[in-house]
Amino acid sequence: MTSEEVKDLILEIIEDIDDEADFENLKADAPLRDQLDLDSMDFLDIVMELRKRHQLQIPEEDYPNLATLDSCVTYLEPLLKDA
Amino acid sequence: MKVPLLVIGGGLSGLAAAVRAARFVPEVLIIEKHSRLGGLNSYFYRNKTLYETGLHAITNYAPPGEKSAPLNRLFRQLKLKRKDFSFCQQQQSEVTFLGCESLLFSNDFNLLLEQINSKFPQCIDNFQKLLLFINSINPFLPSPFRSAKRKINEILGDKLLTDMLLCPLMFYGSSHENDMDMNQFVIMFQAIYLQGMFRPLGTIKNFLDHLHRHYHSFGGKLRKNTEAIKLLHKNNTVYGVELKNGEIIECEQMVSTIGLDETKKLLSKKVSPAQPRLGFTETIYEIKPEKTCSLPRDKTIIFYNNSNEFSYKNPDEFVDHSSGVICFPGNFQGIERKEVVEVRATHLANYTRWKSIASCRDEYLALKRRTSRKTVTNLENIVGSFNSNIVYENSFTPVTIERYTAKIGGAIYGSPVKVKDGDIGFKNLFLAGTDQGFLGIVGSMLSGVSIVNQHILAKL
Repeated sequence: MTSEEVKDLILEIIEDIDDEADFENLKADAPLRDQLDLDSMDFLDIVMELRKRHQLQIPEEDYPNLATLDSCVTYLEPLLKDA
Repeated sequence: MKVPLLVIGGGLSGLAAAVRAARFVPEVLIIEKHSRLGGLNSYFYRNKTLYETGLHAITNYAPPGEKSAPLNRLFRQLKLKRKDFSFCQQQQSEVTFLGCESLLFSNDFNLLLEQINSKFPQCIDNFQKLLLFINSINPFLPSPFRSAKRKINEILGDKLLTDMLLCPLMFYGSSHENDMDMNQFVIMFQAIYLQGMFRPLGTIKNFLDHLHRHYHSFGGKLRKNTEAIKLLHKNNTVYGVELKNGEIIECEQMVSTIGLDETKKLLSKKVSPAQPRLGFTETIYEIKPEKTCSLPRDKTIIFYNNSNEFSYKNPDEFVDHSSGVICFPGNFQGIERKEVVEVRATHLANYTRWKSIASCRDEYLALKRRTSRKTVTNLENIVGSFNSNIVYENSFTPVTIERYTAKIGGAIYGSPVKVKDGDIGFKNLFLAGTDQGFLGIVGSMLSGVSIVNQHILAKL
């Protein structure tokens, strides 16, 4: 996956969690949580969806890497390079 | 057969736990002893009419846009859509203590503020302090029992107002006699007074059917009429259940929603020493209102107390008629007026007494009838006369509730001992539902979801 594709994947997962999520004005370097009004339960869904779709096991200590769209890309791109 | 997750009990917490897990791993299995789903919130048929059990109102109302509200978080976690449900908010409800001012409240918190301001003007500043105090508490942090009653009385400085505010919260979710745990109080205060009450437009059966279809769409499986008689375990790991018919179902992980002591019994573990459990009776009256009958149309639920001192405890007599809850399921916003209206009345009841006469069918039925008559007299003093307009009535006692829900002592709010984190000393067996400590339909469903999130998902 390219970094654009990883970005799209994350947004698609978030849209799946919350179909009213508003991506307009979304800043890639700011926490997704605050911008989209997500809580820790929603974040668990991102982790579980990545596992379901791409068999990725993300350990709990790595969750902070999913804080912003940019950090998601940095963290996930190498893991999904063959996806 | 072997399943990744076995859920014991098809009540609302079990269904929610199973849906949550099945979203990511199908092949989840729920086993339910009864022939119907729903547990404490289920239904039965008499004369081709469906009657609900349990449900008076669902607490924790929130409008669809409020993302962080418990109701909407629950829906997101289960991938349920608000637009697939029609929710009807309460009109207004009332706490009425004989010989005292009554308190009205609705889903608009300002009503309760105004009521306290006009009826307990000396307490309004203290009530604001109570709100600040409630805000300062994180009710989800595990902590030992703290008396809510003492603390609220201390803040409000008024025993009557304390009791009146506690009355609905106790009736809708306290497994403790004459008190509540502080965390439980905060959760219930938010659920009932700050968020509010509603019900689905259809029946509880429609709601359960929707959840079942949804669960099925993720690949989840359900077996009804299936009773576990033993949870199979080695040291602190469970590996399956033995069913009543001798069949064994193996599993990787297990969630039990049947109650703490109920679960321990199936593990052949010692149960905690008996503590008083609270039983209830409920009577459903079907009433054909005519001109002579003036039941309120604007009240959804009335919590009443007729004695000098509000008492919420296991009564010495069969039924404690001195206090109770009166519910008008037709008086929610957006529900069409029907030809026959329903009134439900709930009282505290003594399980042991009812159990002692349950085998003498005639005596038991006669007592049910007498109790129901006494309830009518009490209710008529509060809502006006309706006795001559009753076309059907039916009562449940704690014995009925025990028979259909398998809750020890028919105690709908379960054990006074709660296990907040669901951890009962096993690696792969966790407790959800009533005895995990979240109550009400939204609470018990969130209980199922949070136990799966915390303990199950990562290991599936």
